[in-house]
Amino acid sequence: MQFPLSMSDISLWIAVMAIILLVTSELIYSHSENFGDFAIDKTRLRLAALIFGASFMVTVLLRVIAPS
Amino acid sequence: MLDQKRWRLGTAKAIRLLQLLFLSIALWFIYWSHIYEMTYWNKTLLETFQSNFPNVLVYSILIIAVISLEFQSKRRRRISMAPSSVKTLETLQKENEQLKYELQRSKKLPSNKIGIALLIIGALLLFASVITSSTILAFIGLGLTFWGALFLFARPTKFVRSQILDATAISSYITLDRIMDDLNYKGKPIYIPPYPKETYLPEHLRGLKEMVVFISAKDYTKIPAIEEMAKKQFLVKNPKGICITPPGSALVSLFEKELRSDFTKIDLDGLYNSLPTVIMNNLELASNFEIETEKELIHVKITDSVYKDLYSKEQKLKSVHSIGCPLTSAVACALAIITGKLVTITKSNISPDLKTVEVWYQTVEG
Repeated sequence: MQFPLSMSDISLWIAVMAIILLVTSELIYSHSENFGDFAIDKTRLRLAALIFGASFMVTVLLRVIAPS
Repeated sequence: MLDQKRWRLGTAKAIRLLQLLFLSIALWFIYWSHIYEMTYWNKTLLETFQSNFPNVLVYSILIIAVISLEFQSKRRRRISMAPSSVKTLETLQKENEQLKYELQRSKKLPSNKIGIALLIIGALLLFASVITSSTILAFIGLGLTFWGALFLFARPTKFVRSQILDATAISSYITLDRIMDDLNYKGKPIYIPPYPKETYLPEHLRGLKEMVVFISAKDYTKIPAIEEMAKKQFLVKNPKGICITPPGSALVSLFEKELRSDFTKIDLDGLYNSLPTVIMNNLELASNFEIETEKELIHVKITDSVYKDLYSKEQKLKSVHSIGCPLTSAVACALAIITGKLVTITKSNISPDLKTVEVWYQTVEG
């Protein structure tokens, strides 16, 4: 039993998710009004986006330091 | 009657025995077809599924039988109750569910069911991907786990519609209008700065630490004596007028909480820099907020305020123009605290579409 994804797969996945989150948070951050019945904590969404962005940078650093 | 009860007990026991029997056979099938082959013949889960398809079918039927028997036994237990009471109970349960749903909708508390469901499915798929060594399953699992966690993390604590804010504020303004009409008071409301929170005051003067607005009987800028304000009186005799808590006093505390600072410790420039951020980004009370000094007045321009409907002509509120809406009143309170001077609203201008509210404040030496 082994996890099927390699470091590069995870890195790519994190990068895609980080881009989606960063773009979303950036687009909705400037809007002060809510979006109909959809409510979300924009600050937390931004925080999650930043964490994902940082995680991607960490994976890139890891690949630079210790290329497999 | 007794025979009927015995018969029911007998059938319940038989159903339980059947359930146990089916369950043990199903478990044996699972063990033999998958675990045994995976352990001793080094097969993957998918391979065991393919080679044991009839077995899989049999134990699926057995498990379905066990579940349906469970439902059957529950239904039998329900039948033992009187039909009328069963009907009442079911109606009450339905009503209860409906009320719970309506309460949740009115509170607008977002449900976390979707987040939890996604998280569980994602975790299961991740586990399955490890067993089957499937990259596709791993990606799907990761995605679902990620969105589930995000839905739970970015869930807002509470969401209140802006119409509710207006509805709760209107009644206090109507009351204030009635009081002022009844007493025939025509003075301009004056925001009187409180004493700083840290200042030591004797017990009988503690009332001076609260922010108040003085509305005089006639148009003059004289404020009541300290003793009268300290007593927290509503009707003040010298000079004649009323002392009320400003509509924005609680909002000022919220501003301070968001800024993590005391307004007595910052200057006007600090307020000009920090207040727009708190109002626009932190509390989202308006889409745009500008504050600047214009000659001797302080000019504030608010766009898309959450309290803009209070200014509509349909409401016919007079006091909202003189004392300000909760937001403009909070700005007046903040100015009074920072400058330590009396603050009045000199002029207010509202655009016909209610989108923009402009207010001019004046500070007066006490």
